[in-house]
Amino acid sequence: MTSPETTARAITVEGLSLSIRDFHLSGIDFALSGGEILVILGPNGSGKSLTLETIAGFHRPAAGRVLIGGRDVTQLAPERRNVAFMVQNFGLFPHLTVRQNVAVGLRKRRASPERHAAALPHGDVAGLLDYFDITQLAQRAPHSLSAGEKQRVALARALAAEPDLFLFDEPFSALDAHTRDQLREELASFLRRLSIPAIFVTHDHTDAMVLADRIIVLRGGITVQAGSVQEVFYKPANVFVARFIGVENILAGRIAGSCEALSTVAIGERMLRAAGPQVASGAYVQVGVRAEAVSIHSVGSASAPGVNRFVARVTEVRILGPLATVQIDCGFPLKAYVLAQQARDLELIPGRTVEAEIAPASVRLMFD
Amino acid sequence: MAIETQGGWRWRTAPSHPHSVFLLCWFLGGVLLAFIAIPLIALAGYSAANLAEVARMADVRAAILLSLEAAFLSATFAALIGVPLAYVLARSSFPGKGAVAALIDLPLAVPHTVAGIGLLMVFGRHGPLGEPLHALVGIKFWGTIAGIVVAMMFVSAPYTVNAARMGFEAVDPRLEKIARTLGLGPWRTFMRISLPLAWRGIMTGITLTYARSISEFGAVVILVYYPMTAPVKIYELFLRIGLDQAAGAAVLLLIVSLSLFVLLRYLAHQRETIRENR
Repeated sequence: MTSPETTARAITVEGLSLSIRDFHLSGIDFALSGGEILVILGPNGSGKSLTLETIAGFHRPAAGRVLIGGRDVTQLAPERRNVAFMVQNFGLFPHLTVRQNVAVGLRKRRASPERHAAALPHGDVAGLLDYFDITQLAQRAPHSLSAGEKQRVALARALAAEPDLFLFDEPFSALDAHTRDQLREELASFLRRLSIPAIFVTHDHTDAMVLADRIIVLRGGITVQAGSVQEVFYKPANVFVARFIGVENILAGRIAGSCEALSTVAIGERMLRAAGPQVASGAYVQVGVRAEAVSIHSVGSASAPGVNRFVARVTEVRILGPLATVQIDCGFPLKAYVLAQQARDLELIPGRTVEAEIAPASVRLMFD
Repeated sequence: MAIETQGGWRWRTAPSHPHSVFLLCWFLGGVLLAFIAIPLIALAGYSAANLAEVARMADVRAAILLSLEAAFLSATFAALIGVPLAYVLARSSFPGKGAVAALIDLPLAVPHTVAGIGLLMVFGRHGPLGEPLHALVGIKFWGTIAGIVVAMMFVSAPYTVNAARMGFEAVDPRLEKIARTLGLGPWRTFMRISLPLAWRGIMTGITLTYARSISEFGAVVILVYYPMTAPVKIYELFLRIGLDQAAGAAVLLLIVSLSLFVLLRYLAHQRETIRENR
């Protein structure tokens, strides 16, 4: 049964489950519109690559369906699904030249005006090479290319097959940080120009931050959290997600009281206020606070007493280019990001007393 | 920085006492090289005089040609039925895979005369395969090149399977997956991606099978004494006439098979080099 909504979606995955030996992937659900990017985040062994390969057609699911462009492809072989698959190091065929690589999947049969809103060339290797500015590499062997060139050749090759969906399996995981940043930006701007949806699998939360419209966090084959970038990064469902996406401050506390939309959490001797639904007093919680949500002021600079404003002692300062990380002790340890200039203006050095402030809306309560 | 660089340099080239280690390795390796080279040189020197005479003997020339022909067929059949098995072993896991791999290696461990007796029992005049094949298709495995090929293949096919398997295993499975998503079916993926990428391994295996087939004596001599392959002919000359003529024939065979071996290796490598420079 296909509802009107699922046909409108560019890709719909419903209740996808499968078992391979003793690993179980269960209940993967999402739908993407054209041009949307889903990032599946998870540690090694979480099932994220398996999910991708199942969508590509390399494993038969035990349950669930995959619809691409409204077409149920669950029973189709990979070569009939019209997906582009990109892997670590981009997987260029080493025995073929750049031109031959691009020509492998070339299709000339379809001209789909609405799919290529970015006026991409199709049905023509020369046009694709030109579009990606790799014409001069046409006769080169893949091993002689830089990582950036490889990415462009791989994208050209994928586009030649006129895919309905892009799948990326950690393409950047073998690259150095600088190249990674560069290629990620290039890929993001490329994908934003297309109306083709993409699923990107990674364990790097920066990839998710830059590329994602939506995120699924997987752990042990189970979806731990699914939502927009804002939801996942600022409202992690639990401590696992918070740690995984790099929440810098995770503190153990206990609910001391709760009224209206504000809960009070006791962390050691201090009381921290958190915005959100009411919680029963006495419950043990984990408190997540992102380092950029902690602001640092000189003592007595506030005109009025604020909520969550603590006197704190600086224990460590590290200048990292334009930013600085500041470790403070306000009865419990906190890490904060400030601008390097601000760190100098406030004369932040270990031992200095400052005031730290956290907006209650930035305090995330987690129960497991 | 300078210290780090120096440390890095020292670590890379000199983990401990480099000279003593390398000298010892070279000394021991040199013993092996001499052990292989000296008998061959001695043989060549000893038989140089009667090489021309032996080369004029029609039966010796016929034996060498027969060996080359049979080895070519043996390597071809081993490739035709061994490479698909190698692909299966490299790409799938199934119960009993270890047993299959062990069975493939078994001919390497069986004394070749034993293999010959086994083959004689199966492919002989009254064997369970020899008899019906002769009756139905007319193929005789006794006193024919067919028997020689069977004996050669039995002892040398494992080289093709093992080398081709390593060749396929070295192909990143994700390249095959990418080819599939680009619209190539399993068969085209195998022909256009897996096979060319495993080519060097396959060629190495075929070359080894070919070389091993030419040199096979034990299994061949039991299954097919006549017509004589070169190793059988050499043995016969040695028994009937003496060392001089046997050594001459031996060197002739050595020259022919070595040059073919070198040529095959060169061709396999050449193809790889062209590919890399393209």
